[in-house]
Amino acid sequence: MVTPLRHVLAAAAAVGLFASAQALAADGKQLFADKGCTACHGEDAATPMQEGFPKLAGQNPDYVFAQLKDIKSGARANGQTADTMKPIVEDLSEGDMRALADFLGTLPRPQTVPADLPGKKLYTTKTCVACHGKDSLKPIMKTYPALAGQDKAYIIAQAKDIQSGTRKNGGANAMQPVMHLVSDQELDAIADFLANVK
Amino acid sequence: MKTMMRALAVAVTAIAIGGVAYAGPKDKPKQGKSVGEAGYAWNAGGEEEDEALKLKPDVKAGREVYEVCSACHLPEGWGQTDGTFPQLAGQHVKVIVKQLADIRALNRDNPTMYPFALPDQIGGPQAIADVAAYIQTLKMNPEPGVGDGKDLELGKKLYAENCTRCHGESGEGNNDKFYPRIQGQHYNYLLRQYQWIKAGKRRNANPDMIKQIQNFSDRDTMAVLDYVSRMKPPANLIGPKGWQNPDFK
Repeated sequence: MVTPLRHVLAAAAAVGLFASAQALAADGKQLFADKGCTACHGEDAATPMQEGFPKLAGQNPDYVFAQLKDIKSGARANGQTADTMKPIVEDLSEGDMRALADFLGTLPRPQTVPADLPGKKLYTTKTCVACHGKDSLKPIMKTYPALAGQDKAYIIAQAKDIQSGTRKNGGANAMQPVMHLVSDQELDAIADFLANVK
Repeated sequence: MKTMMRALAVAVTAIAIGGVAYAGPKDKPKQGKSVGEAGYAWNAGGEEEDEALKLKPDVKAGREVYEVCSACHLPEGWGQTDGTFPQLAGQHVKVIVKQLADIRALNRDNPTMYPFALPDQIGGPQAIADVAAYIQTLKMNPEPGVGDGKDLELGKKLYAENCTRCHGESGEGNNDKFYPRIQGQHYNYLLRQYQWIKAGKRRNANPDMIKQIQNFSDRDTMAVLDYVSRMKPPANLIGPKGWQNPDFK
């Protein structure tokens, strides 16, 4: 059967669309350097310039993507996200964000060895382990962050902002109802454990 | 017309191939209607709930499923006395099956629990049947979270006048009718669910119950629920103080 020309053209147009989408796919590694992310988050995305800034290396790409989107839209506006991050991510397209997130996910995680700190037991008894996973390496959902090796001050700030409702994007509504289970002291111990899981 | 359809089919296929990386989770149970929606019928059933109830449960497999639940509901099934997580021990099979099915079909909102209820976390209807059966083996907490104990006479009166028809003389509920056992449940959990039911916020609630409690004052609410939290389940269902589940050693 001879394929009518108009069918061939239609197919070519569709394939052409698909191909051009691929050609425009962003380079996450390049973006991470070009957009100045390295300045605050570190060249390796694991050594932030200052306490309280998150490490991003090896983080779940779906989680990072959601954060970039939410920071850009203002759905997440806690801490320094509104003043510092938002202007930077303003001109990122979704394709850019996806590329960045995927790139960050490929970077080496902080090496983890179960650290025998007081917070380790609390991490289980306060039920953090249920969602964030054993040693906080592999959370139950790809949209939940791994916390192992994360900056201690950053962890505490996020936990508190989620509890108070200052941060309410994404899965915050899943976490907020259980935050009252930890006192400030306990939170400090848990964050200490998580930051030191190397 | 035929040309357009062919072209559309090719284009859609190309987009579908390109878009597969962004596909959402599989196995999403179908969402039913909610309280307030036209045609809402409490416990309309259907879908996974019906399927799970027809299956032969495997208690041993249920213990494996329960591992995930034990992080918050505790190996003993006692939840948290402050009401953050309910006690599951002692709860009826049909109630557990229905609530699990409803939570994962988003007929009942529970963002914290939602991921744990999903098929790709615990399994299909068989897993629901199995875990509900396993929970039947757990003894109840002899000391659940209770209220302040200051208004129990009012609580007792309100309970007798309003709640026995469905929840039973002693708060034992009714498995066949899917009415939950509420005796010995943590006070703060009862309070939260009750308030949500009253406000229409618990979307899988029984409309008869919503009507029944509409005129309860805050004082009534606290009194009756304090009374309920203190109602003793049958002795053979209660575990010793400090009991630890040997299945999880």
